[in-house]
Amino acid sequence: MNSTNFTFLARRILGSVPLLIGISIILFGVLNLAPGGPTDVYAEIPGVSAETLENLKRELGLDQPVPVQYVRWLGAAVRGEWGYSIRTGRRVATDVKERIPATLLLGGTAFLLALLGAIPLGIMSAVRRYSTVDYVFTFLSFVGFSMPIFWLALMLQSLFAVQWHLLPSAGMVSIGDGSFVDRVRHIILPASILALAYMASWGRFTRASMLDVLGLDYIRTAKAKGLGNGTVIYRHALRNALVPVLTVIALDFAGMISGAIITETIFAWPGMGRLFIESMNGRDYPVLMALLMIGSLALVGMNLLTDIIYSFVDPRIRYE
Amino acid sequence: MRSPRRHLLKLAWSLCVLVLLGGIAAAQERGGTLTVALNYDLDTLDPYASGFLTDVQATFLAGLVAPDHNAQYVPVLVTEVPTLENGGIVLTDDGTKMVVTYHLRPGLKWADGAPLTSADIKFTWDAIRDPAYLGPEKNGSAEIDSIETPDDLTAVVYYNTVFGGFKASLFTYGLLPKHVLEGKDLNKDPFWDAPFGAGPFMVTEFKRGQYVVVERNPYYFEVDANGVQLPYLDSIVFKIIPDSNTQSTQLKSGEVDFAYNVPFTVAPTLENVAGLRVLRAETLGFRHITFNLRNELLNDLSVRKAFAHGVDRAAINKALGGYMVPTNTFVVSIFPYSSDNVPSYEYNPELARQILLDAGYAPDRDGIMAKDGKRLSFDIMTQAGRVEYELAQQVVIAEMKAIGIELKTDNKSGAAYSQARREGDFDVWYSGWITPADPIDSYISFYGTGGFNNGGAYSNPEVDAALNAAAASLDPVDVQFYMGEAQNIVLTDLPAIPLFEAPSIIVMTERLQGFESNPTNQTNFRHTSGWWLAK
Repeated sequence: MNSTNFTFLARRILGSVPLLIGISIILFGVLNLAPGGPTDVYAEIPGVSAETLENLKRELGLDQPVPVQYVRWLGAAVRGEWGYSIRTGRRVATDVKERIPATLLLGGTAFLLALLGAIPLGIMSAVRRYSTVDYVFTFLSFVGFSMPIFWLALMLQSLFAVQWHLLPSAGMVSIGDGSFVDRVRHIILPASILALAYMASWGRFTRASMLDVLGLDYIRTAKAKGLGNGTVIYRHALRNALVPVLTVIALDFAGMISGAIITETIFAWPGMGRLFIESMNGRDYPVLMALLMIGSLALVGMNLLTDIIYSFVDPRIRYE
Repeated sequence: MRSPRRHLLKLAWSLCVLVLLGGIAAAQERGGTLTVALNYDLDTLDPYASGFLTDVQATFLAGLVAPDHNAQYVPVLVTEVPTLENGGIVLTDDGTKMVVTYHLRPGLKWADGAPLTSADIKFTWDAIRDPAYLGPEKNGSAEIDSIETPDDLTAVVYYNTVFGGFKASLFTYGLLPKHVLEGKDLNKDPFWDAPFGAGPFMVTEFKRGQYVVVERNPYYFEVDANGVQLPYLDSIVFKIIPDSNTQSTQLKSGEVDFAYNVPFTVAPTLENVAGLRVLRAETLGFRHITFNLRNELLNDLSVRKAFAHGVDRAAINKALGGYMVPTNTFVVSIFPYSSDNVPSYEYNPELARQILLDAGYAPDRDGIMAKDGKRLSFDIMTQAGRVEYELAQQVVIAEMKAIGIELKTDNKSGAAYSQARREGDFDVWYSGWITPADPIDSYISFYGTGGFNNGGAYSNPEVDAALNAAAASLDPVDVQFYMGEAQNIVLTDLPAIPLFEAPSIIVMTERLQGFESNPTNQTNFRHTSGWWLAK
């Protein structure tokens, strides 16, 4: 990476500040436009009066116009103050901090599994196009794409937990245990299921991208030079083929930070996805804004990171 | 003169009695952990601030009184439930105000060993009514003018009105410890990470999104008939499992021992699982169809009557596994003033069509009844994602189509749903209510003019008068009379069609003994001290 690249990076980082502010305005607006507010869930409790809820709104500053609320939120947010959750009464930072490790653990494991499966399978499938391996992989990846996660999860839970008693059906740790083995036993099912969808998608991308590259002239030249098959595929073809695949993987990674809502719900996994759903149902604005901004930040950040990685993988890419 | 034989007989008797007593004592095993599935992501352990019912809180907090399995109030921390007869309630100011006197049991202690006194009663009221405290469940605090504590065991509560529902709120959820919380910010205090009260258990761990562990409170006051200190269980673990299918899997695999509010659609798969018991527990819940009377067409009584005659309760119940009990009124039958003497509308689609034809409606090309170019086509709302409601909704839609009324689904969830049902952003609404053990204030909010939960905008001054009279009366005969009147008028006006009394399906391990379900919103966990696990 040279100095022009650095200038470019500095510009990009500075440029993402107004971008994030813009995103936050839109998010804040959309959240407030959605029907219902934070005090509405309490109305489900018999015996809660309208006056109590009005008082609650006033105390939370929800009686102020939305732009005023936004400015207050932004002012606090830039000072690193994310406020208090309306539902739990605790600091938003505390609530979120508790959920991030669980999500990263599940997402990261699934990510690694998927990566280890998808790339070799994609390469193999492309190199031996129209072979049995290719057909089997193609068939399985379509199964992986189209299989409803909740159904597969139910089947595996009932097989591994009810029939065979091999693995726990849900949760992150056994209460009172929490040893390494115990955690591994808990993560196997959710991580495998989450990995399956990623694996199918990335594998297909790798395959398609490899096929494109393998048809190019320079590969033929490399082969004609008498280079070994492995060198051609891994040194010449794969490096170029990976560029578009990286984009997809990076964007999926950014999405992973926000949590896998369905998997987390089915496996009672205490991650960000479930926090988001609960906060959404309760219209817990401070938590929602924090979660959405983390998601946006991850997306912007990963885009930037992808650009940097590009310049490493493909030296032809220069940023002016 | 005493014969040796009589001596022997006596001895044999004593032995028998001893063996029997011993048998009972040995039968109730002390110890063990019960794992309970909690089907929601618990927000906070503060019962006054939580958006959910107080399942977990009921195990560690104790109130002055609590409803039992028949929704009758029994004393908890006090020696008796105050009534007019026992002098616990005294009417003053020509019967417009009341004074309630509570006598605490002597020797009560908090779970940390500190003494519990009448000052804690006053503190709980002061803490909850404080406008700076944001917990929304302040019901029953505004009606109190002042509390006097002449001695450590006595609290005299002065009400500014005759408040029939005084038992249903505030002091029933549980007292808060003054010596720990005084001067603290109750909204944010770390006390709520591992709170305790005077209940049978105390919280030792709360992992958000995962579980809550409550363990035996060593200072709990209750003892059983043999002098054994309660609770029997060492601990209860509440595992947070939001997905009902996963919950059922965990019951089958033995990872949880107890689940409640199991959906009617899931319950049949658990009926014949070895080691599990499926219980239909009575609740104070009922299902209903409610109309929005702001809608010009629904404001027509004949349309609502046609609706009522067109609904086949049996068909809905069948689709839902047959667990529910059809009803004609909104007061569930466990209450003595539930009335049989209300207008009932038997299922009769022919009659339903005839009512519409008589009212001047005629079927259009699609078979939908219309008058003056206005078709009987409405949105029907229910809570999205709640399988039972959504299934029932589909049956209702089919039944209404048969009599010429078109219904289109318009389902919402969370805060959006809550707002829509209260502010009347629906035409027809299928849902359920569950009331406290003193339900009259709830009925006022459902059917009273401008009521907080009266999203259909029903208004009838006669109903208001009857319900208010019932709420302000402490005499069961008067309550019965006024409530009979209120039910009669509401069912004549038909702002809503009560459909079913809905049980709660509880699935538990066969080893759990001493369990009694609780039909009220004080939850099944209000009396956990007597639960025990057979080996």
